[in-house]
Amino acid sequence: MNCAECRENLVACVEGLLGDEQFRHCQAHFEGCADCRAEYAAIAALQQQLAASGRVAAEVSVVGPVMRRVRQQQTVKERSTIMSRLFTRWGLGLSAAAGAGAVILIVALAAPRAHATAAAVMARGAQAVANLTSIHLRGQMRTFPQDNFESISPDSPFCTVELWKQYTPQLEWRVEKPGRVAVMDGQSAVLYIKAPANMGYKVPGATPSAFDTEWLHSIADLSNTISNDLRHAKAQGWKLDLIEETAANGSRQAVVTVHARSGVPDDDYGKNHFLGNADTRRVYRFDAESGQLEAAQMYLVRNSGEVQVFELNEIEYNTPIEPSVFQLQLPADVAWVQDPQTLPDNQKYASMTAEQAARAFFEACAATNWDEAGKFMSPITDQTKEGLGGLEIVSLGQAFSSKTYPGRFVPYEIKLPPQVVNVRVANTNAAKRFVLTGVYDSKLRLQQDLKWSGEPEVLPNNQAYARLSPTETVQAYFDAQAKFDWVEMRKFTSQHDVEETKGQVETAQKMGMDMRKLMPVYKAVEAVWSPEQSAFFVRCQVTGVKKFNLAVRKDNPAGRWQVDGGI
Amino acid sequence: MDLSDRQCVERCRDGHPEDFSLLVDRYQKPLFAYLARRLGDRLEAEEAAQESFVRAFVALKKLRRPELFHSWLIGIASRILKEQFRSEQRRERTRAATGMLMEADLDNGPDYPLEEAIAALPETYRQVILLRYYEGLSCQEAATRLEMPLGTVTKTLSRAYGLLRQELQGRGSTQLAETGKINDELR
Repeated sequence: MNCAECRENLVACVEGLLGDEQFRHCQAHFEGCADCRAEYAAIAALQQQLAASGRVAAEVSVVGPVMRRVRQQQTVKERSTIMSRLFTRWGLGLSAAAGAGAVILIVALAAPRAHATAAAVMARGAQAVANLTSIHLRGQMRTFPQDNFESISPDSPFCTVELWKQYTPQLEWRVEKPGRVAVMDGQSAVLYIKAPANMGYKVPGATPSAFDTEWLHSIADLSNTISNDLRHAKAQGWKLDLIEETAANGSRQAVVTVHARSGVPDDDYGKNHFLGNADTRRVYRFDAESGQLEAAQMYLVRNSGEVQVFELNEIEYNTPIEPSVFQLQLPADVAWVQDPQTLPDNQKYASMTAEQAARAFFEACAATNWDEAGKFMSPITDQTKEGLGGLEIVSLGQAFSSKTYPGRFVPYEIKLPPQVVNVRVANTNAAKRFVLTGVYDSKLRLQQDLKWSGEPEVLPNNQAYARLSPTETVQAYFDAQAKFDWVEMRKFTSQHDVEETKGQVETAQKMGMDMRKLMPVYKAVEAVWSPEQSAFFVRCQVTGVKKFNLAVRKDNPAGRWQVDGGI
Repeated sequence: MDLSDRQCVERCRDGHPEDFSLLVDRYQKPLFAYLARRLGDRLEAEEAAQESFVRAFVALKKLRRPELFHSWLIGIASRILKEQFRSEQRRERTRAATGMLMEADLDNGPDYPLEEAIAALPETYRQVILLRYYEGLSCQEAATRLEMPLGTVTKTLSRAYGLLRQELQGRGSTQLAETGKINDELR
């Protein structure tokens, strides 16, 4: 082997691609040729450096977080209300998971033929809705009613989620669930988080989606979804199945199942709290004749098994939508979220660490310095002031990150300031005992309507309960709740309330909260008769500690940390 | 790879921002390695990588030569690094952390320009280097992915190694100089 032949084979030699004989020839040449030996050594060294660089980056994946931020640039998403920052009745603020990204239906290529066929079915579905004038989707989702549109809470009961979308003469849409609504009227998009939060956020422009509603829009806009996502599929390695079924009415359905993987590690704090961060199995049912989408289901896939988190059970194509659907009537006293502006002393805040910002925010709340607190959170509502004014910081931990969220989480423990809650009770029922019918804040604004689906039942020992005064009734209710005695609690409140409380407690425990310690302490103080409402209002004092993770992010033009959730 | 860098950039500008994910997917690993080597902290490197991509997306319309996206991205990342290194205290801390946090793989010194040199390669050569070292494919697997004979892959690699060595030995590259100009436009 001469030098030219050796040089031609150097890379193959370094890569171990040469046959035995050729390799031996190369080796023999190296022994007699210092130049080629040096060339070989140089390539081998470069290869090692490249391999080391590759190893450093082996586990890295920033596609999800980057694309979430890219979409923010595109659609101006819900920044300050990305998580529920509501004070729940129990002061838990349970839904502080993580940031959200639009769910896009990425279809993968595990089995090329199945993929092609399923893709064809979905593409046909897209074709079938290509010339829609309007669409109305109605589904059920396991989520907290006030929380982010994309948040899922697998332990919660289902609540209704709807989308109305009109394509002509101009694009307008509305997405609504019991605690929040988003409307785009062709001019701007408004998110309204209903009372007790009573908060609004407005973004200008005829945005095709906003406020983390993309996943629902994508079901409505199958054509966009498919054309975009099939192209992105190769890199993801998701699996896709197609089967044909006969529905109960005898019609044939093509059922496409997408096994979607978020790529978020199992131990990530943010995993599975939002559709975009969850491993899901998504089932789309198309009518075999028309090609139209007829139903869809989403299942959260966890190590412990699957839980259905979404069911699309009603789709109306091209049914005229009342103009009023796209007109949002808001209360006059809505607290509007303001994007953070650059402050005269902005640098002081911009140079803070996440922990420093969290401490500064809590200290401002402790001192009821709302101007200062407002530099970290918008809006500061009466609810914020009442809930956090005068708090005591017990401890703040070290900030941590999640792949799913563009900010940081700061663990905190605070002693909540004493609060007042009023509970409405009435005994105008067949069992003649007091039961709870509503929860109000200190200013008698309704916080929670305790919906009764029927009359309270007459208990075997009904007389003992009928003798309880309004104050004793409310105290007994809270005592039962503190002991997680759901059977006893049910004697004073609706099944709905029991299930909701139980779900919140279970969720909190699953998130690592010690609810035996963290459950607020309620003391029923006195009852006042309300002639207008024909009911007693029992004033209660609430004390407690809260231990959770404050979500803060600084991807805003002012570059300051803003409280985004976890309160 | 389906779309070239130029095609991806043009589609992003043409109302298909989702296609930016192809560029992120393509360059996230070399970019991360570049940043991690300099910052000495994986978390900070990941954040800086995210920031680099987002700034690149925002400034995409200013990129005059889309085929040089990767070099341009490295330029953006280096400016982010400069911002991060402004504090002397931080620099010292980072130096102390280098090597301690990033295993032996990072023992190449803070100014090692390997990833910059990769970014300066013409796309054909860069593509093979990325598949081989950042996607972890063998030469045979790279050949299958690129639908080209194995011999073509090894020849391309050989040429890529030659170009990289030229860059690393500081013999200069018109492409790197070009990248510098483009980055100047954004300052």
